[in-house]
Amino acid sequence: MKKLVEIKDVSKIYNPGENEVRALSHVNLTIGEGEFVAIIGQSGSGKSTLMNMLGCLDTPTSGKYFLHGQDVSHMSDDEQSDIRNREIGFIFQGFNLIPSLTALENVELPLIYRGVSKKERLRLANAALNSVGLEKRKTHKPSEMSGGQQQRVAIARAIAQAPPILLADEPTGNLDTHSTKEIIRIIKRLYHEGRTVIIITHDPGIAKQAKRIITISDGMIQSDIKNPEYKDEI
Amino acid sequence: MGTFGEYIKSALASIRNNKGRSFLTMLGIIIGISAVITVLIIGDGMKATVNSEMDSIGATTISVSLDDTKTDKTFTREQIDQIESSISRIFGISPTVNVFGSVKGRKGSYDVYVSGGKPAAENSSGVTIVHGRYYGDSDVDDAKNVLVISQTMSNLVFGYEEAVGNTVELTANDLTQEFTVIGIREDTPMDMAYSSFGDEAMVLAEGPYTSVCESFNFDVDNMITGFTMYLDNEDKQAVLAQTRAVVENIMGLRGENAVKISSGAGFDQTTNAILDIITSVVAIIAAISLLVGGIGVMNIMTVSVTERTREIGIRKSLGARTSSILTQFLAEAAILTFVGGIIGIIFGLTVSFIICKVVGFSFTVNPALVAIVVAISTAIGLFFGIYPAKRAADLDPIEALRTE
Repeated sequence: MKKLVEIKDVSKIYNPGENEVRALSHVNLTIGEGEFVAIIGQSGSGKSTLMNMLGCLDTPTSGKYFLHGQDVSHMSDDEQSDIRNREIGFIFQGFNLIPSLTALENVELPLIYRGVSKKERLRLANAALNSVGLEKRKTHKPSEMSGGQQQRVAIARAIAQAPPILLADEPTGNLDTHSTKEIIRIIKRLYHEGRTVIIITHDPGIAKQAKRIITISDGMIQSDIKNPEYKDEI
Repeated sequence: MGTFGEYIKSALASIRNNKGRSFLTMLGIIIGISAVITVLIIGDGMKATVNSEMDSIGATTISVSLDDTKTDKTFTREQIDQIESSISRIFGISPTVNVFGSVKGRKGSYDVYVSGGKPAAENSSGVTIVHGRYYGDSDVDDAKNVLVISQTMSNLVFGYEEAVGNTVELTANDLTQEFTVIGIREDTPMDMAYSSFGDEAMVLAEGPYTSVCESFNFDVDNMITGFTMYLDNEDKQAVLAQTRAVVENIMGLRGENAVKISSGAGFDQTTNAILDIITSVVAIIAAISLLVGGIGVMNIMTVSVTERTREIGIRKSLGARTSSILTQFLAEAAILTFVGGIIGIIFGLTVSFIICKVVGFSFTVNPALVAIVVAISTAIGLFFGIYPAKRAADLDPIEALRTE
């Protein structure tokens, strides 16, 4: 299995000095291509910091982060933007759709920033929305859709440009049971289609859907196990 | 990058989504631009009206002379006549041969200043014939010893005002010649001034330059270095354009830059300068309202950035670069002021049209002015958009995503 994510001795310290907060402490982590990983931890455990690091939204205070073999730990803002655009599809707890744009326009956004032509952009965005079952909602604005539908739009946006990593931060945190099942089903299917999926959650019920479970607390990795309860069916 | 069009599109979408607020933001720009436009157009109209009134005042003069540092040439009689007939749209030209001497009539002798010229000199300001006539072309051609004198001179030399037909003796250059008075003209302030010195009084008279030269032994073909052109004020620009070429041609002075033409700092130029100053001062005051409008744009854009912090965070997480966000917000500000500028121009044109019609000024629109104003209003958007757009672009994506 090829290494996709390689974190070496990464620490993140906020407010360096007397009142410093050590959000991550000497973390080492490797995730291979095509893995399905859940990172579980309570709030304040450092999982959000880890997720920001993995998503190239943040840089470590010390240590190194290699993504696809490339050192991304000390990049400029614009370089990080390019890496996010190319390598990472985000799925957020709050969906994070732009309210003034339609479903289709939201899905088009990362493709615009990548400089994809209008025609190709529409093709990819339509295909992504079709794959999450939203053929009929393309011209709807977020406010005209249910939470589950909004999260499906967000997933379509994350996969439209086929990034190698899907990074899902509490993807079902704002959803009811029915929608949660639906979203988990879609995420599992995406894993089966060959994508690397990383879910960050505090919910053991969600974490046990993944093939590998990493537990984090106090900014350190406490356990990293193969999930014995993993079921391969969708 | 074809993505620029996308930023414009998303800027437009955001303006549409906040119609009311966008309009209020534009209002400042609309008022500023329409104030500037109105002032400038009314200023132009005022100038055009004043100028056309001054054009209708009538005769004006242009002085033409040869630069004696560049050429030794002088105008001959023949060349003077040739120049006069070659320049169109003028009343005529007149060289000036001045002679200082004395005049003797029935009632006494006085110092006299005789201006020798051509009949066009009758167009000089202040020349009004009250008895007899001005000298004509035949008097010049035949070098007749005739004089046009002022009422004062007539009174002093003859004792009465209507002395047409009488003769005087003019002495100058040690030569004495007899001249016949053919016309009496109204006094000018100059006549009054010169005649008020009692025994030292001096009188003024005019006659054909040819006879003046012949009578007092001046070489007419070797002394004239300049002349005055008389024309209608309306034709001034056209004549000015033509004069140099004609004179250079006839005098064989092409390319030597030896012809000096002076239209004088006339009254109209001074008036125009004053009107221009008034217009610019008022325009500057109007421009201040434009500045206030620009600050309004900055204000609203800053609020908009704060409100859309989360959107900016989302865009950044999806791969938007600093420059993409900057462009999007700058485009939004520029579009607001561009559209505001267009509306302001339409409004300003309407207002200035109505005012010009009511006041009676001529209404003309300079297309360059409209283009410049559109450019300026867009530039205002870009300038005042920089601060909020920079704020948006520099947001930390993690912080931005965390805001509600």
